Amino acid sequence: MIEVDGLSKRFGKTQAVAGLSFRVEPGTITGFLGPNGAGKSTTLRSVLGLVHPDAGEATVLGVSYGELDRPLHRVGAVLEASEVHPGRSGHNHLRVQAAAAGLPASRVEEVLALVELSAAAKRRVKGYSLGMRQRLGLATALLGDPEVLVLDEPANGLDPAGIRWLRDLLRSLAAEGRTILVSSHVLSEVAQTADRVVIIHRGKLVKQAPIEDVLAGAQGGTVVRSPELDRLAGVLSKAGGNVLMGGDGAVVGLPPERVGELAAANGIVLHELRVEQATLEEVFLELTGGETTQ
Amino acid sequence: MTALVRSELLKVRTTRGWWAYLIVLVALVGIGTAAEVGSRSLAERRGLDFQLALVDLVGITSLLAIVLGITIVTTEFRHGTITPTLLATPGRGRVLAGKSIAGVLIAVFFALLAFVVIGAVAAVWVSIGGGELQLADADVAERAVKTLVGVVLWLLLGLAIGAVVHSQVAALVGTLIWIFLVETLVIGLLSLLDAEGVGNYLPFQALDGADGAGGDDLLDYWPALAVSCGWIVLLGALGVARTSGRDIT
Repeated sequence: MIEVDGLSKRFGKTQAVAGLSFRVEPGTITGFLGPNGAGKSTTLRSVLGLVHPDAGEATVLGVSYGELDRPLHRVGAVLEASEVHPGRSGHNHLRVQAAAAGLPASRVEEVLALVELSAAAKRRVKGYSLGMRQRLGLATALLGDPEVLVLDEPANGLDPAGIRWLRDLLRSLAAEGRTILVSSHVLSEVAQTADRVVIIHRGKLVKQAPIEDVLAGAQGGTVVRSPELDRLAGVLSKAGGNVLMGGDGAVVGLPPERVGELAAANGIVLHELRVEQATLEEVFLELTGGETTQ
Repeated sequence: MTALVRSELLKVRTTRGWWAYLIVLVALVGIGTAAEVGSRSLAERRGLDFQLALVDLVGITSLLAIVLGITIVTTEFRHGTITPTLLATPGRGRVLAGKSIAGVLIAVFFALLAFVVIGAVAAVWVSIGGGELQLADADVAERAVKTLVGVVLWLLLGLAIGAVVHSQVAALVGTLIWIFLVETLVIGLLSLLDAEGVGNYLPFQALDGADGAGGDDLLDYWPALAVSCGWIVLLGALGVARTSGRDIT
């Protein structure tokens, strides 16, 4: 569906993408993750024929983007919310794209309604909030009713209600059998929406797998709280547990049974003892060596 | 290609700048016509010279045409709209071709609008003096076609410049400096070297020769037209190469 094979791209002294390969399976939502500067945007722009790779290739629906017949009918993309003329109304921005794709003007009203932007459509984009621009971007991507969607940080600038709305929209679009590649730094967002993740770091692939596998394979921990936390931490460390202190509790790299036994054996009172699942965020930090995505 | 041209025309018409172009065009051509009529005696107003001079006023729109031509390309890079444009039409040469066809249509529209303004202002102004406006002469018709072609050439040269220099400010300022300073200096230098004829082949000297009105120091119409087209094709080819090779980040 989307295939990136040995892709490399250098901008001046920066190696943005270095021999990256991955596949996006048809009919799935794939989260595309990586810290800032990991090469996500360069990769997406290569897929869309906007950036010329130095080596390797990126294809969509089996061909390079430039070879697609009527591309807006096949692939919809939102790259940056700012790529709209500020003096043009949202409605006219869509009319321009619809005209280029040979779509009727009625389709403009449909996508405006779909992204719930009809009320502001006649206003100039200059006055739009970032969230409204994201909605306009999504409307643009959906104009041609494409089977593939490529979205770069679509949750950026959306408020919690907007993020929920976006999640529902992506799910309903995927349920219609569309293939969606969505980059995001809101990892919890991806965890709730995506079927698969592709994680890249410094232009290289770190992991590509179904999201359950990624989470299942990750190291969770046992959360423990105690009025004698320092003594407990000492006991647990001696028993070989990796202890991470935080406030009045700690996260321990031992199963909860073992933590409870050790506490009882040493007469230490526990206020809390529970298993914590690894979050995508933790997996991500582990895989990318602690660099944040912000 | 029809869809592409429609989209490009829509782009031009859906920003406020479009109305600014039309207002400036009507104002400048209107004032120019009034001044032209006012400077002529009643007897002169019946002559062919006067009629040709009226038609030549269409040339006022040339500067607007080249600025619009530059803007049509560079605004895409300034506001990042080149991304959605290329997503709809990945072939970059094709996008520039669509812009060129749209540009030709707009230039023709500019020239026709200028004719209407000139005709309206002159007819009213001349009739106030008790005369009648005659624009039926074959020479006048030929001159009108040549001036119209001239406006088209200016717009196309602007498009080509914009395709080479994607920075809007650099392209606009550079072009104005070139027109009003560089060519004059080059011609001055050439005359010192006893080679002033060479200066006629500079882009805007050639365009000046191809505007229908001509001039003593310029190339004749057909050579001037050929040289103008040569410059447009040369810069246009450079522009296609430059735009095609660029990474849109």
